Amino acid sequence: MTKIQMNGYEDSYVIEGKMALPYTYFAGRVGSKFITTIRDQKKIMGVKCPACNMVYLPPRQVCDKDFTDIRDKWVEVSNTGTVVNFTVVRYDDKHLPRKAPFVLALIKLDGADTPFMHILEECTIENVKIGMNVEAVFAKETTNTILDIDHFKPAAERLSVHEINAARKQWVPADEPDTQEKRRGGRPDMSKPVIITAALTGAATMRNQNPSVPYKPEEFAEEAYKCWKAGAAMVHAHAREDGGMTTHDHGRIKATFDAIKDRCPDLIVNLSSAVGMGVTPEQRISQIVAIKPDMASLNTNTMNFGIVERKTGKIFIDYVFENTFTMLQDFGKAMEENGVKPEIECYDIGGLDNTLLIGKQGIFSDPMNFNFVWGVAGGQAFRSEAFIAMMNALPAKANFTTCGVGTDQYPCIMQSCILGGHMRVGLEDNTRMPNGALAKGSYEQVEVAVSIANALGRPVATTAEARLIMGLRKR
Amino acid sequence: MSKRVAIVGTGQTFHKSHRPDVNGQEIINEAVMRALEDADLKIKEIDAIVIGNMDHFEGINYVDCWSVDGSGGMMKPIIKLTTGGTTGCTVAIGGYHLVGSGMFDRVMIIGWEKNSESDTTGAITTAFDPVWDRLVFAGAISGLAAEAQAYMARYGATDRDGARVSVRDRKHATHNPHAHLRKEVSLEDVLASPMLADPIHLLDVCPRSDGACAVIMASEDVAEKICPKPDWIWATATRHSYSYLGDADYGRLTSMREGSQELWKKTGIKEPRKELDVIELYQPYSFGGLIWIEDMGIVGPGEAPQYIWDGNTDMGGELPINPSGGVIATNPIGATGLIRCAEAAMQVMGKAEGRQVPDVNFAFSSGFGGCWWTDMILHGRKKPE
Repeated sequence: MTKIQMNGYEDSYVIEGKMALPYTYFAGRVGSKFITTIRDQKKIMGVKCPACNMVYLPPRQVCDKDFTDIRDKWVEVSNTGTVVNFTVVRYDDKHLPRKAPFVLALIKLDGADTPFMHILEECTIENVKIGMNVEAVFAKETTNTILDIDHFKPAAERLSVHEINAARKQWVPADEPDTQEKRRGGRPDMSKPVIITAALTGAATMRNQNPSVPYKPEEFAEEAYKCWKAGAAMVHAHAREDGGMTTHDHGRIKATFDAIKDRCPDLIVNLSSAVGMGVTPEQRISQIVAIKPDMASLNTNTMNFGIVERKTGKIFIDYVFENTFTMLQDFGKAMEENGVKPEIECYDIGGLDNTLLIGKQGIFSDPMNFNFVWGVAGGQAFRSEAFIAMMNALPAKANFTTCGVGTDQYPCIMQSCILGGHMRVGLEDNTRMPNGALAKGSYEQVEVAVSIANALGRPVATTAEARLIMGLRKR
Repeated sequence: MSKRVAIVGTGQTFHKSHRPDVNGQEIINEAVMRALEDADLKIKEIDAIVIGNMDHFEGINYVDCWSVDGSGGMMKPIIKLTTGGTTGCTVAIGGYHLVGSGMFDRVMIIGWEKNSESDTTGAITTAFDPVWDRLVFAGAISGLAAEAQAYMARYGATDRDGARVSVRDRKHATHNPHAHLRKEVSLEDVLASPMLADPIHLLDVCPRSDGACAVIMASEDVAEKICPKPDWIWATATRHSYSYLGDADYGRLTSMREGSQELWKKTGIKEPRKELDVIELYQPYSFGGLIWIEDMGIVGPGEAPQYIWDGNTDMGGELPINPSGGVIATNPIGATGLIRCAEAAMQVMGKAEGRQVPDVNFAFSSGFGGCWWTDMILHGRKKPE
């Protein structure tokens, strides 16, 4: 210790000292696992709240929003992410982590919802911007702290579906040879774009099953936008009231439709002609005629459409979904006359045959667009052979897509993509991801569909291509 | 609260970058004596003391213990409250709770700092998690810079908008004899000052000051006997929102939004822009003066720059902000929040002299701390119902 005299205060003394306090600090059980996973596997792990779907990084023991215990809800996040915010530190201080100037960035890793602070290096400071992609550079030697990620550096640019699509030749109908024969042999043209549809709500999926189910028009618009961004060319929507009940109110359905169209003018919107239980045929079709969406669902047979516990067979809701021949005929005519392309829903091969039979009247314009639906309690469960039988029963120019309830979802869309068909995902059909975790929204399932298309080398259809393929009216 | 609570006296030291003439006890005593003098009370009439400063900002901790000679706390109940940057406002809220509970009639509230004796960044760094945040933490300024950067990206504001706030506060400070920096600066001065962390220039941020502040609160049973026109506390609110550095919504101060909504709800204020008469905002850097008044609901998101450029928050404007010169002019951190409270009280009591805003009915004061937490007080001329 020294004593210093100050000018002008000759009789005042200042003691100079230094506090250096050694300490230990337990990283915590959650923190320790994060560190050992980086150290041993070079993997970055976050925790995901099952109640609100937030993925936290740094991981923590409870959800900041709802205090749910999330300490063992580990999910892997990517080593790459996005700069959500940054500053350039231009002054030096002995406590700062680097010599100035350096970039301090808030980085949100792909798969995480919370960003965290770190240093960005190996970059030109002037080129750093919000939204740039970065990747973690792991430390050579472990320190058992966040510095096991030594820093971040700019990542090789990853292209979005839209960027990839903008760079490739657009599909035109002339590109398609008569594929019916090829299709019959199960050897379709893999260069034909695959249309991804996201079914945002359905009539039965509620927020207590997945908090991302949209109810309000603006929520539909936001979900639809995310799905479009991820690669969907079409959304299928059942409007809801604020509290989540299905509705056949024209105003509400129109508001929902308009909100989606305002947010994503290009996106194809497919409305439902089955708007909940206990509505009349008139209520089911009048809203379609009034709103005239690009497409609407057309159901093909009267069937059980219930809720049955899968494990025990116990019946929760027993309901007959009425779709008589007359309705099939009248709804089909009303749609075609109003420029609304029907999406023909087949819950088994009988529904397909019903359509071909009634279609002899000349109701349906080519190409017809079928959707093979799997896993409804009352309809068929997904079987590969059944899928092929249905595909082989289609008229020559028809398109097909498919969707499956619950765990049928991913297998059925994968088979469809292999066979040259299209894919529908979304929270209407399934609330979860392939690993069983709740999906953050339909868009996350769209991302899975995109990865299936990528794996098979099929381009993801743009909205314009989807309109051409399905024979929809122009925007 | 079972008792209504009023501020009946305030005292501040003269604030400088270095007060070599006083130590901790002595600077605390300076503020305490001025508050007693202002309220015309003797120390024996004080029932309890609330005191606070920043952890590790001086060569000595546990101010509640060693300061009794200066604070007058010998053989009185003393409680220390330390919440980082918000400390000054938190001690006031703590005092309000003690008096409001009915257990004490007159409470002395003290905030102080000899900032010149600290290794500020070293001390602040100890507030951050040693595993996740501390090793990449780059000082208080960098965090604020990230907020400003996000706000600019979101709403298209510029560094000129921030500079305009500095110009205002530094001009206001020329009317406050207690202010540390009392020289006007121009827009050009601010923009030409060294860039610390983009987009923050040196003159966008607060200085480090030595100083202390004391406030005396009294219950409704005695307040008007001590002071015929006391400053009534209408409501307080506190919000914390921090686990880790990355958790905040950079570009919006969520704690301010939630806390001020609680304040307006508790007091029936519908239009804060019209109903408040003056604001003493804990605003350690210029951009906070834009972002946070939007979160308070004074103006809508992205509207603050125009509102400020139009002169609405200058002295004589619709809603003057920081007549004292605010934190950009004076910053003894542990006292800073309490100075906001004292200055707001002086405005209500009509004692703000050269910086007085006419006819103050409602005044707002706040505290702000390192990782986006906020506390606040609504002061009023009338006794709350």
